[in-house]
Amino acid sequence: MATTTQTALSSKRKFTFNSFWNSAQEQILGYLFILPAILLVCLFGLFPIGYSFYMSLRRWRVIDRGYIGFGNYAKALGDDWIGIVLFIVGFLLLLVAYYIWDSSWLSKDDDPLNSKREGSTIIATVVTFVIGLVAIAQGWGRMFEAGDDDYLASLPITFYYAIGAVPIQLALALVLAYILFQKLRGQELFRMFFFLPYVTPVIATALVFRFIFSPRQTSLANQLLERIGLSPQQWLFESEKLINLIFGTNLDGFFSGPSMALWSITLFGIWTFVGYNTIIFLAGLGNIPTSVYEAAEIDGANHFELFRYITVPLLSPVTFYLSLIGFIGTFKAFNHIFVMQTPSAQGTVETASVAIFNTFYKASQFGYATAQAMILFAIIMFLTFVQTKVFGEKVFYG
Amino acid sequence: MAKAIDPLEIGRTVSLDKTARGKAPVPWIQVLMYLTLIIGVVVAITPFYWMVSSSLMTYNETALRRIYPELPQWSNYAEAWRQAKFSRYFLNSVIITAVTLAGQLSTSILAGYAFARMRFWGRDLLFALLLSTMMVPSMVLMIPNLQIIRGGIFCLPTLSGCGSWYNTLAGITVPFMVSVFSIFLLRQFFAQIPNELWDAARMDGASHFRFLYRIIIPMSKAPIFTVLILGFIGAWNDFLWPLVVTTTERWRPLMVGLWTLQSEAGPETQLIMAASVITIIPILILYFFTQRQFTEGIATSGLKG
Repeated sequence: MATTTQTALSSKRKFTFNSFWNSAQEQILGYLFILPAILLVCLFGLFPIGYSFYMSLRRWRVIDRGYIGFGNYAKALGDDWIGIVLFIVGFLLLLVAYYIWDSSWLSKDDDPLNSKREGSTIIATVVTFVIGLVAIAQGWGRMFEAGDDDYLASLPITFYYAIGAVPIQLALALVLAYILFQKLRGQELFRMFFFLPYVTPVIATALVFRFIFSPRQTSLANQLLERIGLSPQQWLFESEKLINLIFGTNLDGFFSGPSMALWSITLFGIWTFVGYNTIIFLAGLGNIPTSVYEAAEIDGANHFELFRYITVPLLSPVTFYLSLIGFIGTFKAFNHIFVMQTPSAQGTVETASVAIFNTFYKASQFGYATAQAMILFAIIMFLTFVQTKVFGEKVFYG
Repeated sequence: MAKAIDPLEIGRTVSLDKTARGKAPVPWIQVLMYLTLIIGVVVAITPFYWMVSSSLMTYNETALRRIYPELPQWSNYAEAWRQAKFSRYFLNSVIITAVTLAGQLSTSILAGYAFARMRFWGRDLLFALLLSTMMVPSMVLMIPNLQIIRGGIFCLPTLSGCGSWYNTLAGITVPFMVSVFSIFLLRQFFAQIPNELWDAARMDGASHFRFLYRIIIPMSKAPIFTVLILGFIGAWNDFLWPLVVTTTERWRPLMVGLWTLQSEAGPETQLIMAASVITIIPILILYFFTQRQFTEGIATSGLKG
């Protein structure tokens, strides 16, 4: 009752001078409250984006030496414009292929499990997809010939790192979270240990892994190999591709995958982030209402069906969020790669962030480094866009 | 009638203790599950065991790679502390973390409150603008920010007029005194607090500031703790920015000191490991004592984000 009287009172006062004064006061006070935060964000978060672009258009090595237009971009990507256009068109074609595929469901509304596609759309999808791939390969070849090899090579390395780390850490985390979610003893204790790698400073743990993955015969990784009867490896110091080491082949090119050194760093990345993903998955599992499970159980669903048709779709917002920040995180990753890089890895672990840092810090080419960073920014935005468009629409928000 | 307000219910973060309903799994599945968990734990903590045991070995023992040291060499810690000049760096890190946290907390609470509960022109637009800065990679910001800190773009206030913040505490901390994510998180919580409380407080003549200080903050301990933890991890573990804006020892933090030690100490594994253990101890203490709020805080930040 008390609240109703109050609301009545406050509505009666609405048009008096006092209330006008109050609202004006609130306006000013509101701005004052957000002022420190807004000021800092504008100064160190927004302004630098514009200034970065300004710097990228200038010849700037420690000291500003004047405007050079898109020279820095041409230096990074090569001045072979046909190559760049082919490369970008290739990616757009892949997106088009996806849209053809996705919009071609027949009787989509009735039953998504039993719908079919027409043969012509399948052909259209495949053709667009293949043309896209060819365009990318051709464009990339041309760019590589004309552009900055060190920088361009860092992009597929970044991609390898992301593709290697994110799906594995998500899969492991889902398994661990699902087990922790069952009625078992000691849940809290296990949780505490899993989370430990994420909490500890990455410089310290990366240093430990530098020794664990050292080429010494007595390093922990080599001792483990010895136990299972394999010969010792160079790990972080190995620039050879892992696939060639395992099968004794001599493959090269994009599809032959990352070097052993990069795999070692990827393993470290997985070790660090599985715990974090587990905790978030666990919280997500707790958010699924139990009534849904009960209803399905009454309908006779078995354990696997519960997991497949209830847990997975209802958990999809969490999975989507984790994969999104996982990809963005791997593309921005710097500290541990910087600590774990070795000269013998011959740049096979140099991701985009590390390459940009080297241009900036070691070579002191400020203008060129900002151009490289702006390109990375554009790539991250494109990937986020694709992820939100393609996978975001598959997310089930209940 | 207005719904009864339970002050405990409002500031609540995500709980991790819910488990699947129904019976425990059948025994042999339980064994399999425990086995998986134990393998997970072994993988998670072996590097830490390795770190601590190496830090207590003699140089020869690290070279031969024993599993544990014959006789724990506690003197390694003193030696590492001295060689890495940790007396200075440790204090630096403590001050940097404290100053950054104080700044971040005050800007986040004020802004979070204003965005959640005050009405002013352009509020939602400004909030969207803030959120849009979250996905910008730090590599894009770092180079211009270095120019700013060097005093090359704006006038930065120093004791003697305009100057440079290079190699200063301000240069390391000020850019991190705002966290958009923290503002976002606090706003979400502050917005849940029922309006009746504000109406009642206003009847009693309370100002916004007083209401925030006396009612909102005490009710939001859990989210504020979350913001504190995220800020602490960020500030204590930060490496790249301090590396870029410091060239002298004066304000270099622990992480940069550790990195310098590793590039100078060469093959002395036991010293590098001892120094690494020293840098993680403060975080570990915080983690073990506030383990529950710590993990739940991070889970909240993930789910609400």
